[in-house]
Amino acid sequence: MSTEATATAVKIPPMPANIPHVDEVGATSGPLKSAAFFIGAYCKEYNEDFMLCKNENRQPEHCLKEGRKVTRCAIDLLTKMRENCGKQFDAHWECLEKNNHEYFLCRKPERTLNSCMFDKLGLTKTIPGTPAGQTPVHEKQNPIYKPIQK
Amino acid sequence: MSLPYRQDMPPAGGFEMVKYKRNLPFRGPGAYVILGGVTAICAYGFYRLGMGNLERRELEREKVWSRIHLVPLLTAEGDREEYRRQQGAIAEEREIMKDVPGWEAGKSVYSNPKYSQ
Repeated sequence: MSTEATATAVKIPPMPANIPHVDEVGATSGPLKSAAFFIGAYCKEYNEDFMLCKNENRQPEHCLKEGRKVTRCAIDLLTKMRENCGKQFDAHWECLEKNNHEYFLCRKPERTLNSCMFDKLGLTKTIPGTPAGQTPVHEKQNPIYKPIQK
Repeated sequence: MSLPYRQDMPPAGGFEMVKYKRNLPFRGPGAYVILGGVTAICAYGFYRLGMGNLERRELEREKVWSRIHLVPLLTAEGDREEYRRQQGAIAEEREIMKDVPGWEAGKSVYSNPKYSQ
């Protein structure tokens, strides 16, 4: 009796059948951090739509449809990145993994990735809110904060 | 024994001059030079510190925006997970309480109509 109850309790409930299936992104923090600005640029509409929907109602069932679009868009972008700039992408996120997830310690692989992404996919990394007339921090040629080893 | 008479005289070429002038070797730059140098070094250091603070602010903004861009993605994933678990819990509750008449699965346990108006 009691074992039966525990067995049902630990059983992972399946997704209800009326919800369309969507693959999860499955990427870990390094690749996601490396791709973050491109996800923001490529999936802008879906992301904003989703966040506006969440602003209406925070209940999880309210924005499932928009959420699926967000996830599909992110998967689409990550596949495109792997196809077009796989080597640069790998180099950058592996550098992030080795350097405490700090962007400023990985400018060299980041620049190659950014230029590749611009050439192949036309996506640029822009940081919103950069003061006018100032070089964005990821494009500074001689920054103060940089890795000690070249 | 007799010696010839000899007058005691100054040495040939005369005595050397009496050393009355001060003889101080050069002991480094003067006070104002040092003060100016220290001020200049400190000024450059503070300038560099200020520039570094501004740059650190930008780095922080970069980090924050990288996270903002990922918020919808992670929230969507978490929502699906939460919804699935919620539905599972409600289905389980319905199955467990199927013999109790008038039981509504998924409803708050504090929703007793006895005390509501």
